Amino acid sequence: MTELTESQVRALAEALQLPMTGEDTTEVTHRLNAFIEALDPLIALPWAGADAAPAPVDPDRDW
Amino acid sequence: MLASGNVNGDLVFLGATQQAALVRDKQLSPVELVSAYLARIDRIDGRLRAYITVCGESALAAARRAEDAIARGEPLGVLHGIPFAVKDQFETRGVRTTAGSRILADNVPDEDATVVARLTAAGGILLGKLNLTEFALGGTVHYPFGQPRNPWNTDHDTGGSSAGSGAAVAAGLCSVSLGEDTGGSVRSPASWCGVAGHRPTWGLVSRHGCIPLAWSLDTPGPLGRTVEDCALALMLIAGPDPRDPLTARRSVPNYRAALTREVRGLRVGVIRELTHGPETDPEMRAAVVGAVGVLRDLGADVSEVSLPLVPRAGAAFMAICDSEGAGLHLPWLRTRPADYDEGTRRLLLAAGLLPAALVHKAQQARGLIRRQLLDALATHDVLVAPTAHRPAPAIASATTPITSRAEAATRFFTRRSFTTPAALAGVPALAVPCGFSASGLPLSLQIIGRRFADATVLRVGHAYEQATDWHRRRPAI
Repeated sequence: MTELTESQVRALAEALQLPMTGEDTTEVTHRLNAFIEALDPLIALPWAGADAAPAPVDPDRDW
Repeated sequence: MLASGNVNGDLVFLGATQQAALVRDKQLSPVELVSAYLARIDRIDGRLRAYITVCGESALAAARRAEDAIARGEPLGVLHGIPFAVKDQFETRGVRTTAGSRILADNVPDEDATVVARLTAAGGILLGKLNLTEFALGGTVHYPFGQPRNPWNTDHDTGGSSAGSGAAVAAGLCSVSLGEDTGGSVRSPASWCGVAGHRPTWGLVSRHGCIPLAWSLDTPGPLGRTVEDCALALMLIAGPDPRDPLTARRSVPNYRAALTREVRGLRVGVIRELTHGPETDPEMRAAVVGAVGVLRDLGADVSEVSLPLVPRAGAAFMAICDSEGAGLHLPWLRTRPADYDEGTRRLLLAAGLLPAALVHKAQQARGLIRRQLLDALATHDVLVAPTAHRPAPAIASATTPITSRAEAATRFFTRRSFTTPAALAGVPALAVPCGFSASGLPLSLQIIGRRFADATVLRVGHAYEQATDWHRRRPAI
């Protein structure tokens, strides 16, 4: 996996007007890279029938 | 003043159900009960920091009114005269509601959350507002209202986000408490503080007046020293609420009457990946295996189930939950970043920068995880596993800076994979104490059921609890 760099993360945060301290940037970079490493394998999962539905629209309805 | 001569010095550690019966029978004075808790809070909460706000004067006034009502022979609510406390995420009329953050330090709502109003309507007395991780997000490094500490070892974590809700019940600082469980925030403190904590079926309990985190996951839930207390509280807070249109329109069962202790023939599935996985602490594993043995001895039909996607649940959950949180907090992140605890701020910043396509994949993974869980529940009445992968860690271990992506994954994803599957599936899950580590820290069994089968989950938890004595132990504090 190619990791995000701190400068890349800082640039993205600036584009979104999210203030970050230098220490924030370091830790946020580690957190983001952890996310990407953990979530990337999901792309290879068999997705047939897997709706990205968070919850029943009707809460009384069973799944 | 009512007589209280039959109550011994263990008053504050009696269960809420037992206290309520004593109050109704005029064996226990509400004023004495509230006074006992206030005295104990005054004596030990300076160290534990379970409370953010203590409502001493109003609680005593309510206790006196409760006593007068008894003397006049008025009809009494199920929780008459019983002091409860709620996570400071639930709005309370006239009492500040901070969500554990400096940003809301001066926030005073003008209306009670539905769950607070329902407990009060049943005769309960609000004792105070309980500490939590900032905005219920998890990962707070420096709690703005003081570091909550585990009553079993004050150098150790309480669990979160409903930190004070677990600590207060364990330490005898209230009769029963309410927390809110988005991805484990009732069960985690229940586990690490050695008490019972129930995450209801999503949609069973109103979120009106609960400061939100993630709409499809947030669920208020009770914590108590017994499963019966959780059942009692759940009966009072559950049910349709027109002010939360996502609440189920079903009638609320009598959860207390369902506590028959009968589990003979019940099909129990032990989740292999959580119970026997490499991340699970050996003492936790042994305690859960022992608990399963107790259920088997009670007549349950036990087998093992495999849920291969469950180890991925923690990361998927955080992507979904934290990105929703980042969206909610975007204005404050831009204008008041320094008012957030650094841990909270970094969690929100990371989530705010996550690629949307990965968040969508996390939502799809949610569907797959839910399908695995529900398929297992189609052939089992309940599933069991450890509530957490280990006992409560030292507070210091969670406050050091993150120095690598591996460390971030371990600190944030691993433990969440134990509690988030039930949250992602919207099913009920109960945490009950099942032992202690060699160092004296609580260990916990998690019981997961089908949607709206909270009664079955509580019945299994109650049966196990009554066959053991873990729930009778008290911290030395």
